[in-house]
Amino acid sequence: MTPRLEMRGLSKRFGDVEAVSKLSLALAPGEFVSLLGPSGCGKSTTLAMVAGFEPPTAGAVVVDGKDMTGTPPGRRRIGLVFQDYAVFSRLSVRDNLLFGLEAQRLPRSERKRRIEAMAEKLELGSLMRRRGASLNMSEMQRVAIARALVTEPSLLLLDEPMSNLDASLRAALRGELKLIQKQLDQTVLYVTHDQIEAMSMSDRIAVMRAGRIEQIGTPEDIYHRPATGFVAGVIGDPPINLVACTVKRSGTKAAVASPLHKGVELESADMPDGEHALGVRPHDVKVSRRPRSDHLQASVRFVENLGAENILHLEFGSSLLAAVTPPGFAAAGEDVWIKAEPRQLHFIRRDDDRVVRAKGA
Amino acid sequence: MPRRLAIFLRRMAVVVAMVIAFFPIFWLFSTSVKPYDEWAAWPPVWISDHPTLQNYRIVFFPKAARAFAAKQSGSLDYKVSGSAWKAFEDSAIISTCATFLSILFGTLAAFSIVRFRTGGPNYAFQFLTVRMMPPIAVVVPIVALFSMLRLADTYFGMILAYTAFTLPFSIWMIRSFIEEAPQELEGAAMIHGMGQMEAFIKVTLPLVKGGILATALFIFILNWSEFLFALVLTSGNVVTVTLQVANYVSASSGKLYGVQAAMGAISTLPVILFGYIIQRHLVRGLTFGAVKR
Repeated sequence: MTPRLEMRGLSKRFGDVEAVSKLSLALAPGEFVSLLGPSGCGKSTTLAMVAGFEPPTAGAVVVDGKDMTGTPPGRRRIGLVFQDYAVFSRLSVRDNLLFGLEAQRLPRSERKRRIEAMAEKLELGSLMRRRGASLNMSEMQRVAIARALVTEPSLLLLDEPMSNLDASLRAALRGELKLIQKQLDQTVLYVTHDQIEAMSMSDRIAVMRAGRIEQIGTPEDIYHRPATGFVAGVIGDPPINLVACTVKRSGTKAAVASPLHKGVELESADMPDGEHALGVRPHDVKVSRRPRSDHLQASVRFVENLGAENILHLEFGSSLLAAVTPPGFAAAGEDVWIKAEPRQLHFIRRDDDRVVRAKGA
Repeated sequence: MPRRLAIFLRRMAVVVAMVIAFFPIFWLFSTSVKPYDEWAAWPPVWISDHPTLQNYRIVFFPKAARAFAAKQSGSLDYKVSGSAWKAFEDSAIISTCATFLSILFGTLAAFSIVRFRTGGPNYAFQFLTVRMMPPIAVVVPIVALFSMLRLADTYFGMILAYTAFTLPFSIWMIRSFIEEAPQELEGAAMIHGMGQMEAFIKVTLPLVKGGILATALFIFILNWSEFLFALVLTSGNVVTVTLQVANYVSASSGKLYGVQAAMGAISTLPVILFGYIIQRHLVRGLTFGAVKR
């Protein structure tokens, strides 16, 4: 099947700075892909190149098998939802929707049909006569999405569409957006720095760092099998625990020792000897209130109560560890016993940040 | 400090500031209606007991000027023996055309600098540095250049010169307004089929209209009150208001303050009128950073 969107070796250079570097990525029809990364990682520049606002320094943007690299934004069959929604405040909602259709020179009856269908799908019926300026954030987002979708684009781009909203509204809109996307089987490229948005809506996530894709995979992959220490740190809330560990190689085998265990064998022996980092997710730290033979002692420094769960901040040897437990599990000052399964450990190479896993994990 | 005293002091400060700001304007209008012997009298005459429109008549009617010269001031400079209408006309033509061109090119250049990063990050500032040279240093080569190109003492030459001298300000100011306008709206228009220029004109320009009008007023005032270039680049064919004001001298009485004040008073009117017409855009335009999102 022809991918809806293909980025082939896209690069963008601003003066001496390489903002995006040889980025390649293909989106299958109906796929929801997120570009996730901190600000300045090149995700917005990538989106601007796909939309046609920035000409790439090198590489190509291909939509439905057609090279669109030199095509102006309006002729790429792309819809775009902006961070601030960019709803024309002086136009009515209906005129906002019409705006995109007018350029397509559709017959009047077809425009009318599309607008009505879209209004129904996004429940805009009661808003159609209102002016853009009078809408609230959630209405504006729906209008912006409707305006982008009414042209029936091959690809819908969203540029951090929720970064200006408060938390409760975000949660509602995430669900709404995902539902619309599924209903229409719409291909989506979603740019965000918010891991929750990326995790909750995406079929695949591309984690970006310094203009490159660090890892691309399903949310499960990215969460459970991060390819690098950077990815491990970007994804996960509360953030991943990091502990020092030591690698010792003997022949074709390499073993790791850390305060959490002694002698875990690694899947590959190409990890150099010496000090590295070990990452373990707070949700993967098992906590017991009673001493057990395979558990290690730690003491609770303080407890963050999130309602549905608690985050214990533990003093473990010389390091601090976070662990997630049911609420009321332990109180500050108490001793607990912890354990982490070898298969849930991420050994992060100090030299190139790559993650190596335990054998069999 | 008691609240009332604070309010009183604040009001007093406002009054003092207003007196300082408005005094020159008051003095201008006051002098413009004074008879000949009160112009430079000591002690000063604040408000004349014998207000007259004679000074205004001298400005506009050559006959009145000649009568005044014969009776009171002694011979006038030949340049003011005609009506000052020509000076107002010339200044209006030059200032209006130069302001229009400066704003037109300034907007296009600012658009290019902001949207395409033309010339790198400091390009707009580089334009501005051109204006940091004292004008007198630039004026001599320009005089030579203008006479070679036969532009000296022509409307076209003056318009060209004024456009060039105000363009850096246009670019600098309009650039800041465009930068503050939300670029996303332009992008939304483009993704729905508009070209970049069309999107800029139809979407962004209306948003920065206030700023551009404020810039236009600023540039117009610069042009309208310019003296140095007018002085050295013209020799009688083109006469600006500022030159005409300076021309009101007589052999025996020196500067004719009352007539100069009358001319000055009239010359404030176009600026006030322009400002009045665009005033609802001004407050927002002049307070940088307040473009409504």
